[in-house]
Order: sequence, then C-alpha cells, then structure tokens
Amino acid sequence: MTEDERACYVYGVVPEERSDDAVRDLGAVGDPDATVTLVRHGGQAAVVSEVTLDKPLGTPEDLRAHARVLDSLAAKASPVLPFRFGTVVRGITAVTDELLAEGHDDFERALDRLRGRSQFTLRARYVQDAVLREVLTEQPEAVRLREELQGLPEEAGYDQRIQLGQLVMDAIAAKRAVDALEVDRRLGPCALGSVSTEPSSAEGLVNASFLVEDERRTAFEQAAEELAKHWSGRVRIRLLGPLAPYDFVADAMSPAKEGD
Amino acid sequence: MVTVASQQSQYLDRASSSALVDVVDLILDKGLVIDVYVRVSLVGIEILTIDARIVVASVDTYLRFAEATNRLDLARSGTETKGLPGLMDEMQESGGRKKTKGALEGVKDTVSDLLQGDESDEDEAGEREETRRRESGDRPRHRRSSSRERER
Repeated sequence: MTEDERACYVYGVVPEERSDDAVRDLGAVGDPDATVTLVRHGGQAAVVSEVTLDKPLGTPEDLRAHARVLDSLAAKASPVLPFRFGTVVRGITAVTDELLAEGHDDFERALDRLRGRSQFTLRARYVQDAVLREVLTEQPEAVRLREELQGLPEEAGYDQRIQLGQLVMDAIAAKRAVDALEVDRRLGPCALGSVSTEPSSAEGLVNASFLVEDERRTAFEQAAEELAKHWSGRVRIRLLGPLAPYDFVADAMSPAKEGD
Repeated sequence: MVTVASQQSQYLDRASSSALVDVVDLILDKGLVIDVYVRVSLVGIEILTIDARIVVASVDTYLRFAEATNRLDLARSGTETKGLPGLMDEMQESGGRKKTKGALEGVKDTVSDLLQGDESDEDEAGEREETRRRESGDRPRHRRSSSRERER
C-alpha cells in the first residue's frame, strides 16, 4: 500500500481539549481495524481515521461507524460538528493545514453556537392495531368495506381492498397532521429549535429533531416521557440522544445567522 | 441528574438504535459539507435511501393496510381499549352478520366465478405482495395464500 492510496476520513470537528479516549476503541469507517483519533490545530480538533482509497465507502457498517463515532462524542459533551458521511481528505497534513486552518473561523462560530447544546431525535410511530381500531371507530365506510371483504375469498375484492387501504391511509394521514402538531406543542417549548420530516414508513407519525440546551435536557426528557405516557398503547415513541447536531450544524455554520 | 432522568423513562423507548433505516434517516444528507479538496464516495447510498422510503403511498401500501384492517380482531381489543369497536363487533355477532350472510356469500360466489380461469391476475397480485414484503423488510409477515407456499 503506497502513501498515495491512503487518505483521512473526517467525522467532524470538536474543541481541541476533547480526549481521544472517547473514540479510540470505536470501529472506524471503511476499515474496522483503523484507529479513530483527534488531530488538533488552532484550538480545534478534527476527528479522523485512516482509509484506503481502493474501495468505495457506503456499506451499512460504514454508516453505523460514522454515526457511532459522532454520537459517542456527543453523548459525553457538546459541541460536536458532524460532517456529512463520506468526507475524505488527502491526509493528516491536509486536515491541519487546509481543513482546520482555513475553516477555523467558521468552525469556531459553529462550536460557539452549539456549545452546551445537543440534538435529540424523536421517532413516533402508530401502534398499528390501535390506530386501525380508531379508524374503524371513526369511519363507517371502512367498517362497511371490511365487512364486505370478509365475505370474499382472498383473490377477489381487489378494488375494495384498494379502496379500504386508501381510506385507512387517508384517515391516518389526517391523524398524523394533528398529532405531529401535538408533538411540537409539547416539546417545542423545551427546545431551541426543531426540524421534522416525513416519516419513512406508513405507520410513522413523525420524525422530529430538537436542539436542546443542557440545562433544559431534563425538562425536555420529561415532556417526551409524558407524551409517551399520554399516547401509551397508541403511539410508540423512541427518543434518541443526545446526538451530534446533524440537523442543526449547517445553520450554526451559516455566517448569516446571528448567534443568540 | 441525567442518568436519573433516563431511568425514569417507563413509556419512552430510549434504546439507541443501530438499525440501518434509523442510521440512514439520522445521518444521510446531513452534516457539514466542506470544500473541493474533499473526495466524497457514496456508492450504494442512494439505493439504501430509496429502499427506506419507497413504502409510502403506493398501491402495495393500500393493500397492506387493507390486509391489516381485515386481519384486525375487534373482539380481542384489550379491556382498556374496548369501546365502540368492541360494541360494534358484538352487534355484528348478534344480528348484523346473520342478516347479511346470505348476501355476502352470494357476492363471493359470483366473484369467484368471474375469477375462474383468470389465474394470471392472482399470480400478479402474489408477486406484488412479495415485492412489497421485501421492500418493507422491517416487518416481515406471514401470509396464508397458496401462491406463497408454492414458492418454497
């Protein structure tokens, strides 16, 4: 392996006082045997590991390793600036002399804005049977179609099945719109910002990320717990975090945004 | 303080996840993008994203929801949720079903007759179902149809 075929995978940037211990034993992207280390320059540190250039990145384990390194750092302390998956630079010299030297002021601004803040990501998903029961209670037409279909053999009633499925999905979509607002109403006040995205499955209610200050963390977690209790048996809520601020780092880097 | 808060989660699921779909949702297309001297290699990623998101709003999803709705056993609703659905089911049992039974069986016979000799439609439906199952691999489900048995 010649020097040219090796490069530096960059996970993100943290303040230089962070210890290597937080990441040393974690599997690296691209090469599970590579060591994740911190490369320091000018008060900041890039979190890196060595990769070879002979094979592309992007296996499931690569994705997991990227998230694991950043989230392990975030779990211990903020701030962490996560880079996009797949960021590779030529070598250690490029990390210090180009990446950290040239990016110093931008990174400093983002680190300042994200100090004492972490991301929490909430995944809410309907409990299928419970939400279907609700729909059947509220939609007489669904009950009618269901009864009609139950008298039919499986290969028959294709149109009715499409009709029933569509009706049920539309009813769930209407619930989703209302319930997503409830998530924001309960958790928004405990966070500095939030971003929500369409859930990736049909039973999904919402995927929402919140930027939470350390001192509000307990309040935020309690609000999430209360919401989960409120919807117990109806909506399953998972709360991931503290995570690296994947959804908020771009804003924090932006020169236009004034720090608050 | 933080640890105590986590321990108090009784309803909230706090387990970290290494499920691929979760990781993809969390990190893909997120994070800082830096300058041109960076080489970005993303082989396979787009396919992953599509797999994770394709399940929404398609005919296959409609069929899946219809199937789930049909499968739902209203009589087995837990005591805490036994409200209107449970009552409706009892009403069906006591009266409604008997009255409509004859009519429904009539429809069933007619439709069965119509579908006789049209096996290709059924096979197609079976294949659609199989495709859907692979795409939404997070929740495998057993089917009872004969088309599935045949594939084994």
